[in-house]
Amino acid sequence: MSYLKLEGVEKSYGAARIIRGVDIAAEKGEFVVFVGPSGCGKSTLLRMVAGLEEVSGGEIFIDGARVTDLEPAQRKVSMVFQSYALFPHMSVRDNIAFGLKMSRVPKAEIDRQVAEAARILRMEDLLDRKPRQLSGGQRQRVAIGRAIVRHPKLFLFDEPLSNLDAELRAQMRVEIARLHRNLGVTMIYVTHDQVEAMTLADRIVVLRAGQVEQIGSPKDLYERPANTFVAGFIGSPKMNFLSATVTSRNSDRVELAHPSLAAPLSVIRRGGNGAEPAPGDTVTLGLRPEHLGLEAGDSRIELTADLAESLGGATLIYGQTAAGESVTLQTPGWRSLDKSERFAARFDAAQAYVFDKDGRAF
Amino acid sequence: MNPRSRGQILHALGLIAVLVFTIFPFFWMVSSSFKTQADLLASPPVWLFRPTLANYADVFADQKVIDAVLNSLIVALGSTGLSVILGTPAAFALARYEFRGKSDLWFWFISNRFISPIVLALPIYLLGLQLRILDTHLVLILVYVTFILPIVIWISTDQFRSIPRELEEAARLEGASQFDIFRRIYLPLGLPGIAVSAIFGFIFSWNELLYALVLTRRAVQTAPVVATSFMSGYELPWGKIMATGTVIVLPVTIFALLVSRHMVRGLTMGATK
Ligand SMILES: Nc1ncnc2c1ncn2[C@@H]1O[C@H](COP(=O)(O)OP(=O)(O)O)[C@@H](O)[C@H]1O
Ligand SMILES: [Mg+2]
Repeated sequence: MSYLKLEGVEKSYGAARIIRGVDIAAEKGEFVVFVGPSGCGKSTLLRMVAGLEEVSGGEIFIDGARVTDLEPAQRKVSMVFQSYALFPHMSVRDNIAFGLKMSRVPKAEIDRQVAEAARILRMEDLLDRKPRQLSGGQRQRVAIGRAIVRHPKLFLFDEPLSNLDAELRAQMRVEIARLHRNLGVTMIYVTHDQVEAMTLADRIVVLRAGQVEQIGSPKDLYERPANTFVAGFIGSPKMNFLSATVTSRNSDRVELAHPSLAAPLSVIRRGGNGAEPAPGDTVTLGLRPEHLGLEAGDSRIELTADLAESLGGATLIYGQTAAGESVTLQTPGWRSLDKSERFAARFDAAQAYVFDKDGRAF
Repeated sequence: MNPRSRGQILHALGLIAVLVFTIFPFFWMVSSSFKTQADLLASPPVWLFRPTLANYADVFADQKVIDAVLNSLIVALGSTGLSVILGTPAAFALARYEFRGKSDLWFWFISNRFISPIVLALPIYLLGLQLRILDTHLVLILVYVTFILPIVIWISTDQFRSIPRELEEAARLEGASQFDIFRRIYLPLGLPGIAVSAIFGFIFSWNELLYALVLTRRAVQTAPVVATSFMSGYELPWGKIMATGTVIVLPVTIFALLVSRHMVRGLTMGATK
């Protein structure tokens, strides 16, 4: 049995179904990320795992034991809150030691554990400060320290980096990844930021409106998104979606036409569970900006330039198809294009994605 | 002169007027307490006089005054302490738990205060008589608790509600019991509000006259009762009355100053964000 298992978990507030039958399984030592847009129920799901919210249906198992009705403390999980939730009237030391004190751990052992956590998080010299005397990143570390000392079965993080500035966020992201590697613990991490999800996760759970859209490794989700929602959510800049028509179909390939495509495009099946396309069907063609370029590629699509943004190492070019769909491409180096200039974006047909009219992958 | 600084001057003058108006009676009481009877009765009033401690010597020689101050202290500390001990857990429950009848209970706490105290004076007197607790500290403490408890509950509930819920959740995850959460998180973080309500309560009990007059006879006269008792008879010992007044006001002032240290807001800062 998996280390963490959610079976048909539901949550309703009155008539509002916030979580609609979620099944998730995670192995010991895995870094699992719940990702999805704001309001999709990530926090609610995490809080149900922690025991801070009751489930309206379904079961939760941790380390083989059913914990659905257990009190939070009995589940042996630690949580780092988005707001850190440090006790403002206690020193850093007392904040970290709080849980151990509550479990009546002997004083000497508490001191040892706190010193150990402070060493791991490099904050030995902060122990006597109050939370208000700390920077955002330091508070974040204290919150993590408070989680570490209890040697929980699960570490839960609810958008822990969203209150930090961009630079610190990148830095703390690396620290959390390192912490996971060094401690070898199981972590569940909630974020709305797909970059955090892609960089940290062993396994990503994509949520939308209280339902799981897809579960898989970052590579899986990038290469074989189950639907347009996942395809659009994973990857940055966002995947371009064009409306195309099926011209022909044979076993594992489908041929598409689009007004801006120079020639019919033959796309290979990626193993999705979408409806089988038939000639004449309207489907969605997905092209990632990083797969579109100006030089190489076996296929081409004619575009009218809107704008080019140079980032130094790469340039983002925004264009439009003949049908008025906007397309973004990301090419290396500096580029400048005049507005309304016509140009051809090139790509490999092997890197195109096809989705049926309900958005499910071919 | 530009209009802005003229506005500021008017503003300052207004403030000074209010200040003088509120402080003057207090000043008059304190200064009079140092005057001899002759200076006190002088007309027009004298501003410069040779201060005397005779009135205070008089007051402290009077066992009745000393007893009264002690009685007041016992009653005020007792009723305030009891109200805080009973009121803060109630406020915690009201602030953080949903239970049936919560809003009715809340309204009951408030509606208690709609009734004019005088209406209840006779029933409470009769109750005290039946229970044989008239003229004791206990009867005053119990009656004052019925006034102070709602204040403690209102203010503390409000204060507790402003404590981020995540602190409680974090503590629960760490294995804290409800009582731990109350004692280690809500009480220390709610201290500003609790202190404010304690000051209100203390001042209320200290100054309360109506029930103190009705419910006590000889044994447990409080300071305001004794102060008014000077005003009977043919001669008014103004100096002694003023000195007694000063002695009565002093403890409240000291108490308020002591507790107000805790009223500094911002204790919850740093908890979130
Ligand atoms: N106590 C509650 N009562 C009613 N609705 C709630 C409550 N808590 C959360 N919700 C709703 O549940 C949805 C999911 O919330 P949340 O789990 O916080 O989303 P996320 O963390 O993904 O942004 C939101 O639409 C929110 O309005
Ligand atoms: Mg959230």
